[in-house]
Amino acid sequence: MHKDLEGCACIIGSMTETLRAQRALAREAILADTVKADSGKSRRGCAYALSFSCTQQKNVQRILEKNGIRVKAYMGGDVE
Amino acid sequence: MIYLDNAATSYPKPRAVIEETARCMREYGGNPGRGSHPLALRAAEKIYECREEIAHLFASPFPENVSFAMNATMALNTVIKGVLKRGDHVLISDMEHNAVLRPIYRLAREKRIRYTVFPTFARFPERTDEDILNAIRERIRPSTRLLVASHASNICSATLPIEKIGALCREHGIFFCVDAAQSAGHLPIDVVRMQIDALCFPSHKGLLGPQGAGGIVWGDGVISQALIEGGSGYDSFNPEMPNDPPERYEAGTLPTPIIAGLCEGIRTLQTQGIARMHEHVCSLNKRLSAHLCALPFVTVHAKHHVGEVLLFSATGVPSDTIGQKLSSLGFCVRTGYHCAPLAHTSLGTPEGGAVRVSPSFCTEEEEIDEFANALEDALEKLKK
Repeated sequence: MHKDLEGCACIIGSMTETLRAQRALAREAILADTVKADSGKSRRGCAYALSFSCTQQKNVQRILEKNGIRVKAYMGGDVE
Repeated sequence: MIYLDNAATSYPKPRAVIEETARCMREYGGNPGRGSHPLALRAAEKIYECREEIAHLFASPFPENVSFAMNATMALNTVIKGVLKRGDHVLISDMEHNAVLRPIYRLAREKRIRYTVFPTFARFPERTDEDILNAIRERIRPSTRLLVASHASNICSATLPIEKIGALCREHGIFFCVDAAQSAGHLPIDVVRMQIDALCFPSHKGLLGPQGAGGIVWGDGVISQALIEGGSGYDSFNPEMPNDPPERYEAGTLPTPIIAGLCEGIRTLQTQGIARMHEHVCSLNKRLSAHLCALPFVTVHAKHHVGEVLLFSATGVPSDTIGQKLSSLGFCVRTGYHCAPLAHTSLGTPEGGAVRVSPSFCTEEEEIDEFANALEDALEKLKK
């Protein structure tokens, strides 16, 4: 795992979609940082990801799904 | 100097626009979507912020459906060349700018598409929306794939009934592209209610941003071919552009300082109130029109349309001669054909085109009076 992705993270893809996801989480008071995912992990090259506290893992999944945000992979915590 | 050429580009720019453009270069000049260091992330945040402002302005629920281009011309080219396939038929209005005409002409010359021009009857005061809609209906073919319409003309203040045209396009399954080069920031636009599939806009006119950017607000679910290919900041091993907007249409580095400035331009608009600003410009043009109509050798073209621009010509004096004289007196206007040859033909302007006057919300009544008086004097001398 990339050093920025310690804890929990979700790999999204484009910067725009990652920022959209970050906004959706922020609206529900969940803080998440935009980071660049390890290029090797995303299989197709560069991708952006959000890192967040593992205590919020289930909430993050629920909120992103509700907002129609496609997640390529969840990392860390129970999800991986 | 009195600047009356805001339809070409708005000037002066609001202080906030200039300051944010400079602040971006000074404080967060990273490449958006191309790294994860603080400067790149802050630049990306600003770009997204601007997408949100634009989406809000045009009533789109989806900021990610706002893609940036170099200008409105590139935006229109992206839509026209991306949507059309070989054998398609296109409808365009007789008020279109060369930004629409030239790509269409080229595709037609290469025998890839066919096109039909529909009349908008802009020169006739008695025209109705139904006249325009009927003109469109009569020209729809089974192969009609796209309709491109200028929301507001760039040479007179004629507008098209966009909402009604949108409904007609939806009824017939026609992709509806609106050129909002002269209406964005001046007239209310709701891409959902108006059923617009692609709205093309520039940064530097009614939105008060710097020159160097424009964009497209895509309808939900619309996917078109990209005009150019290149880096998108992610998915690097994919040999094709990503499928989703906005990155699909944004190959290469975005002009972040310009977009940062644009963001402040839109905020200025929202603070000042688009309707109030538009009303002010309309009252200035009404005042000027009344003055010019009193001059026996001046024709105000399509004077029944009152809006952001006023077009006039003077019998026996070429428009460029008038423009040069006005320029020497400290007035900035635009002369000639304004890259809209069909629109000039439709309005019946004389050979050599006409003079376009476009004040802004910063223009004062006294300046319009000063312009009118100077023009009257100048024309009297030029006629001798």
